[in-house]
Amino acid sequence: MSWTSDRAPMTRDSNDELPEAAANWAGAHASQMVTHAPYAVALGMRYLSSSPGRGSILLPWRADLAGTDGSSIVAPGAVTALIDHTCGLAIMAGFGMAANPATLDLRIDHMRPAAPHTDITCAAHCYRATKTIAFLRAEAWDASPDDPIATAQAAFILNRREG
Amino acid sequence: MPDIHDIISGSPFGRFMGIETRIDEQGVLAILPARDNLIGNTSIPALHGGAIAAFLEITCLLQLAHETGSTAPARTIDFSVEYLRPGRPEATYARAKIRLMGRRVATVHAEAWQRDEAKPVCLVQCHFRLPGSRG
Repeated sequence: MSWTSDRAPMTRDSNDELPEAAANWAGAHASQMVTHAPYAVALGMRYLSSSPGRGSILLPWRADLAGTDGSSIVAPGAVTALIDHTCGLAIMAGFGMAANPATLDLRIDHMRPAAPHTDITCAAHCYRATKTIAFLRAEAWDASPDDPIATAQAAFILNRREG
Repeated sequence: MPDIHDIISGSPFGRFMGIETRIDEQGVLAILPARDNLIGNTSIPALHGGAIAAFLEITCLLQLAHETGSTAPARTIDFSVEYLRPGRPEATYARAKIRLMGRRVATVHAEAWQRDEAKPVCLVQCHFRLPGSRG
């Protein structure tokens, strides 16, 4: 299912938030998804790019993200947070802030440890979304997207009413 | 028996997270004190799901170290998280249970809760490659 399909995935209850509006939002505000989330800022995440249903974020190498002293390899927990956040970005870039996504489940396969002292890049793709649920895949790599350190599959719930 | 506190203090990411630990008859109780920079969504506000997941992964590693007696870190093979409730910006607690300790791989489940242990905010299931195992 392509993101650009004009079938149900982008349909919403109200007409005032069409995909174009979401795309405009994405262009103008998607980077705030990274800069306005304290934990993402604390980890040092940097917004790279987004388009409807897609997002990518960089986690620059930093010594205090290492799993163990002397290893100089990013802790898997930091990679988990990066993947979760990049999935959120991909959804927001498709639906805008109103989607209010929350992670339902996330499964990560760690193919191999990252190389020491390397930045990690994550790209997420929302390949299908209904009014309630978004399905995503994501990959994280150090040197090349062809040789990922981790791959992930996630489901997010959308359009929750807060409170 | 490895000192669990030494494992956290020997982990830059563990220190960054500010994780505290206690050992009791059930094993390792891990504590993630509330801190502003663990927030993911400021409008709710809620802890970042990635922070809770990372906390649980470390809880699994601590319980493994506690039971195996090895401080060499196990390697995460896969990691599956379910979010049941939003994590409020308050102290979060976690325990892990080793469901299978194989020669090379361990299956570990863990859960995190806040005020009420009967209402977990997050569950994880993961596999770890045990230290010292080849391949």
